[in-house]
Amino acid sequence: MKRQLGSKVDDVKSSNAKTKIGEKAFEPDAGPAAKPDLKHPDVVLSLLEADQVVAAKQRMHFGQRKLSLGVRVLLWGLRIYVVAMLVIVLISAFQAIHSAR
Amino acid sequence: MKKSENHSPAQPFGLAHPTTDVAAASPLARDLAGLLTHEDVDRARDRWRVSRARWAERRSKIFGRFSVLWLLVGPGVLVFLGENDAPSMLSYSATGARFGIGFFIPFVVLTFAMGLVVQEMTVRLGAVTHRGHAELIFDRFGRFWGFFAMGDLMIGNFLTLVTEFIGIRAGLGFFGIRPVVAVGVGLAVVFAAITTGRYWTWERITMGLAIFNALFVPAAILAHPDWGAVGRSLVTWTPLPHGNSFDVLLLILADIGATVTPWMIFFQQSAVVDKGMQPRDIGAGRFDTTLGAVLAAAFGIAAILATVPLFHHGIDASQFEAAQFAEALEPRIGHVGAALFALGIFEAGIVAAIAIATSSAYAFGEVFHTGHSLNRPLRDAWPFYSTLLGSACAAAALVLIPHAPLEFIILIVNVIAVLAMPPALAFLLLLVNDREVMGDQVNGFWENAAAIAVTVVLICAGLGFGVATVIHMS
Repeated sequence: MKRQLGSKVDDVKSSNAKTKIGEKAFEPDAGPAAKPDLKHPDVVLSLLEADQVVAAKQRMHFGQRKLSLGVRVLLWGLRIYVVAMLVIVLISAFQAIHSAR
Repeated sequence: MKKSENHSPAQPFGLAHPTTDVAAASPLARDLAGLLTHEDVDRARDRWRVSRARWAERRSKIFGRFSVLWLLVGPGVLVFLGENDAPSMLSYSATGARFGIGFFIPFVVLTFAMGLVVQEMTVRLGAVTHRGHAELIFDRFGRFWGFFAMGDLMIGNFLTLVTEFIGIRAGLGFFGIRPVVAVGVGLAVVFAAITTGRYWTWERITMGLAIFNALFVPAAILAHPDWGAVGRSLVTWTPLPHGNSFDVLLLILADIGATVTPWMIFFQQSAVVDKGMQPRDIGAGRFDTTLGAVLAAAFGIAAILATVPLFHHGIDASQFEAAQFAEALEPRIGHVGAALFALGIFEAGIVAAIAIATSSAYAFGEVFHTGHSLNRPLRDAWPFYSTLLGSACAAAALVLIPHAPLEFIILIVNVIAVLAMPPALAFLLLLVNDREVMGDQVNGFWENAAAIAVTVVLICAGLGFGVATVIHMS
């Protein structure tokens, strides 16, 4: 999976994080008089990351990760805890209110 | 990368995974150009303003930096001032009335520091992935775990929303305003904020309202607190709380557990995405989150200080509601102080109602892949806005129904929020350590050490609070 995800995404993410992507493309030189014409798609695209565009987000997703045994045990443990505690809390709250009346 | 089951099978752009490459320079540019939406254009406009401010920063360091920060603050301030909601402020008030100045002053600061560690991670997640928290959980963990997380969020959010409207009703009740009018005013403000069709405008309106959380500061000043004692307590954490140790423990656990609630994690990440923040904005996002935590801690402490006169007069405020607090304070801090206190509770309820309803709507839109941005007009994203308004209307209606189980809701709302926290924190930590999602922005050693320490404390507090509440209620 890592190979499929590939160096490209990692490279892009890491270079974004360090803002090494060409400054001009990533943050266009917006001087005081340079009010952009946002009716022009190129201008809009020059201001957004590809992954920020709604159409791209709708079609591209992070895939599901493989959950290790440890992670599954953690998630199930927490889920059982939530459900069990919720039942106890609801019963206790009903009893508390009932006895108060 | 394997596709999750809820993915569209079509990959018309020829990419099977997200990329954060700049859109104009990417191979997708030609395809994307024909598919731009109103939301994209609005977001680009916001990005252009940030670019212009960065350009100005090169010419005038101070003014430029201020402009950049002014443009990029918002989600962090809103999430922390939203968390200073009606029940929280009443809880701080009860603390001041019961224990006076002492241990709980620095303790509140500590809880917000812990909240800051957690919320900072949501800034990075949002800025790097451009995905909301619910969407990421569904993508990375699948529908099964996703619906569990959503269930926790939606139930917790709705019940909390009800308590916000109780706060709104109680705050305006001090001024003799009828409950139906008070709740109607609350709904009208929520509706007015979303009719703008712009995230930026919504954010500024809500921040404008949120700053009225500062009303507790003049109320505290009018209470004439002993500032020397406040300073000493911040340094020495004394005097320690005394009295029924079980109640003290319950209050400590409740304060820790209520510092970070699931809605905060979901809300801030989605707001960061809707604001259009990018990886290079993470520094500003950290500033925003820190500013929010500092302001919220200061206003929380102000609420404690405002009610200290009740402690000095030995008044039992453990069962007080907002109006009762204000009425009890009136002879001690004057009518103006009491009115400020009541208005503060009203404001806290309003801002939290807006933020929590928006959090539910974001999560709904992300999971069901419908439009989920405040940059979309009402007609384009009606499921998103319907969820937002529908949850607010349902909570408001419940508050007005005679004999509705409001007492029951108040009793369990904090417990449910705390119970839902451990799984939410587990998902957050797993995501922020997922290199395939975060790239180089994964947690480092010290970030993980701090986050895990805070998470363990929060989980233990949640567990302890849950168990203690159950024992207490039984």
